[in-house]
Amino acid sequence: MSDPLILGIETSCDETGVAVLSGNRVLSSVLATQVEEHARFGGILPEIAARAHVEAIRPLVHQALNQAAIHHDDLDAVAVTRGPGLVGALAVGYAYGKTMAWTLGKPLIGVDHMEGHLFAPLLDHSEYEPPAVVVLVSGGHSMIVHMRAWGDYRVMGQTLDDAAGEAFDKLARFMGLGYPGGPAIDLYATGGDPDAIAFPRPMRDRPYDFSFSGLKTSVVTFLEKAKTNNNVPPLEDVCASIQEAIVDSIVNKTFNAVETTGVEIVAGGGGVIAVCGRNFRKKPIDGALTCCFRVHRCAPTMVP
Amino acid sequence: MKILAIDTATPASSVAVGEGDRLLAMNLSVNRMGHLSFLIPAIDMCFSQVGWTPRDIDAVAVDVGPGPYTGLRIGVATAQAVAASLGVPIIPVGSLTALAWRAATGRRRIWPVVDMRRNQVATQAFMPVPGGVVSDGPAQVVSVSEFQALLSSDGIETLVVGDVAATGDEFLRGAQRAKRGRPRYPTADIILEIANLRAESGEYSSVDEIRPRYMREPDAAIRWSEFREEGIWPGSEST
Ligand SMILES: [Zn+2]
Repeated sequence: MSDPLILGIETSCDETGVAVLSGNRVLSSVLATQVEEHARFGGILPEIAARAHVEAIRPLVHQALNQAAIHHDDLDAVAVTRGPGLVGALAVGYAYGKTMAWTLGKPLIGVDHMEGHLFAPLLDHSEYEPPAVVVLVSGGHSMIVHMRAWGDYRVMGQTLDDAAGEAFDKLARFMGLGYPGGPAIDLYATGGDPDAIAFPRPMRDRPYDFSFSGLKTSVVTFLEKAKTNNNVPPLEDVCASIQEAIVDSIVNKTFNAVETTGVEIVAGGGGVIAVCGRNFRKKPIDGALTCCFRVHRCAPTMVP
Repeated sequence: MKILAIDTATPASSVAVGEGDRLLAMNLSVNRMGHLSFLIPAIDMCFSQVGWTPRDIDAVAVDVGPGPYTGLRIGVATAQAVAASLGVPIIPVGSLTALAWRAATGRRRIWPVVDMRRNQVATQAFMPVPGGVVSDGPAQVVSVSEFQALLSSDGIETLVVGDVAATGDEFLRGAQRAKRGRPRYPTADIILEIANLRAESGEYSSVDEIRPRYMREPDAAIRWSEFREEGIWPGSEST
């Protein structure tokens, strides 16, 4: 079987994603996003996410097969995210995929959510291969992985409290900027001075781990004090400085990992990487580094 | 008419296969957290017990609730995946109807109860009629004390079935005209029976018309930390 036809289903968070792949070639990829449904709450509500998945999954599978011009009997396997993620949301996609595989008599491939991210850059960077350092930063997770070979991973560091996206969301909510926080802060940061306020760079003593709750506290304290003293800086400068602190911390920890492992390939995944990517390119280290950034949220990915 | 029936609307998960009014095989497990890991192996076992392949079935019947949400969604998603993959229709059946249907004897008004947690139950009044039950009021989600008030003010003899433990046992012991009955949970064999009658009268739904009957607004609690939960998958879920 040279290029297996696989249908992939992903429902770990607030987007329902279905794709059909032939080997590493994406034949179709469809997505139903729920961002607007969660926006009024300033965060993701697990129950709303799960309800939206059950509405979306059947039509999306149909659409993905149609766009790929594939009949479901021609599939070689069904792949589905099995976690980690929101339990009630995962259950919908997993039940659908598992049942589809059983009904059609095809194998089911349960894919670890994080492993999906590790493979994702392959879809648009054929030069991507291990050994590599992969930094995954999104709404729900922040981690640095040393991929020694396909299937051989070591988690070098991860968040000890809030994920980066979570920190963005909480700060945006505090400043009344709306949801999702990352894009909202990014919007205001454009044109602001990233060096205006020196927010702390978290976890300097642990080279690969993240912690963002301290940053959150210091931003809140800073703004409250500035308000009392009647010298609140421009919102653009605050946003640019927050972003700089988070991104700087992620970039530095990634570079620590690159130095220790000696890899020549760095890849990134997850929504927050959309912001970090610019900074990685701004700050190349030691020449020989290739960057493969696939800026996606939790789109369907699978092990070929 | 060959039907696969699925019920994951309560802590009980069950699947059944049957032809016409004959139940041919059934599997059941009572485990609040086990709906997902139970379903496919149980369906597969039913099919091998009767020597069918998936392509043999003509329709899928599913309990669409009310009931705890995660289980409902697993049942609905499973029914949709089978129906869409085979191109067969779905027959939705309500959990309260299923409970009342199985309990129907004599002349008592039947109040089926499904535990919705957070001190609430789903209920609806039914009257027994020849060949089944008819609803005698709207389905509703009420607090336990509201349910007790509903029942005490009911002027005729009643039969309370379903997850009666959720409504407070003491109260029922004191109630004059209320009697406690079975079953405790809706099960796939009941769903199969009702679905077969509906199929005979041509009451099908298309795969996209099926939705869980939640009967309650979603919880508005933000739980980001839930996203990072690990080591609980596959095979477990919560509501
Ligand atoms: Zn992800």
